[in-house]
Amino acid sequence: MAFLEWLQSLPFSVWVSESDTVWGYPAILTLHTIGFGVLVGANTVVNLRLLGVGRDVPLSSLRPLFRPMWVGLTINAMTGATLFAAAATEKGTQTVFYVKLTLIAFALAVLLRIRRIVLNPDARPPGAGRGLAAASLVLWIGAITAGRLMAYLH
Amino acid sequence: MTAYFAWLQNSQASAWVRAESPWLWPLCETLHFIGLALLLGIAGLMDFRLMGFLRSIPLRAITGFRNWAVGAFGLNLATGLVFFTGSTNQYVVNPYWWAKVGFLMLAGANAIAFETIIRRSSSETFTTGDTPAVYKCIGALSLVAWLGVLICGRLLPFVGGTD
Repeated sequence: MAFLEWLQSLPFSVWVSESDTVWGYPAILTLHTIGFGVLVGANTVVNLRLLGVGRDVPLSSLRPLFRPMWVGLTINAMTGATLFAAAATEKGTQTVFYVKLTLIAFALAVLLRIRRIVLNPDARPPGAGRGLAAASLVLWIGAITAGRLMAYLH
Repeated sequence: MTAYFAWLQNSQASAWVRAESPWLWPLCETLHFIGLALLLGIAGLMDFRLMGFLRSIPLRAITGFRNWAVGAFGLNLATGLVFFTGSTNQYVVNPYWWAKVGFLMLAGANAIAFETIIRRSSSETFTTGDTPAVYKCIGALSLVAWLGVLICGRLLPFVGGTD
């Protein structure tokens, strides 16, 4: 708790939470939403393809989608840490916040396994990755739900 | 228009959304974010392909994802209407909400333009490889429009309101 209070009292954290300009909390939250859309959106496209949607799109042609996913992840790690610092004592004591982080960690672990299939589709039987794709969708929906609930469960 | 907004704000439906809000509002927000990721993912894929990136994807094959994008849009339109019904008077005075509606119309008009063009083009053209300039313009415009929708939507609770 002392650490959370220290984090929240840093001048930058105070600026993020109390600045009256749009460039503080609202802009950082918007960047967090863009990063989320890029990471989860691109991951979802790959998941749908693995589940049989858009079969005419060769799996290997989706390889370039992984780079924007890592960019989205990096943006969200940074903006997420900033949003956390600005309200550390509140978010750091919310169970649902740790549920969100856990679901994201699992979703990223699944994403790495999906990436191996997309990078080397010939090494797998057709239909490989369906279970991973379904798990990925469930984990991201869970993470989104937990993230939304952070605004409501105090 | 003003009379209609006032009627909606004072309607039973609006009161119901507010009364049910302990669960209805967060549920619709969650669905709205799920739709956002789905729509941005598929629209982004189409837009970058139209702009000439991701050249190994056959352009026509992407239309296999179209129904999911339309479904995601329907989900976000429905949940968006719940928000609008519940807090009509907050949205209609917010310039960011009007900007979001404007970007939505731009994205819609752009999608219709693309559908018209792709129907006219012969089936052999543009399977893989580079795209013509008009496709690049449509893709770039669409990407800007959807990002505008997202940015205005995310900012509107914080700015431009009367609170």
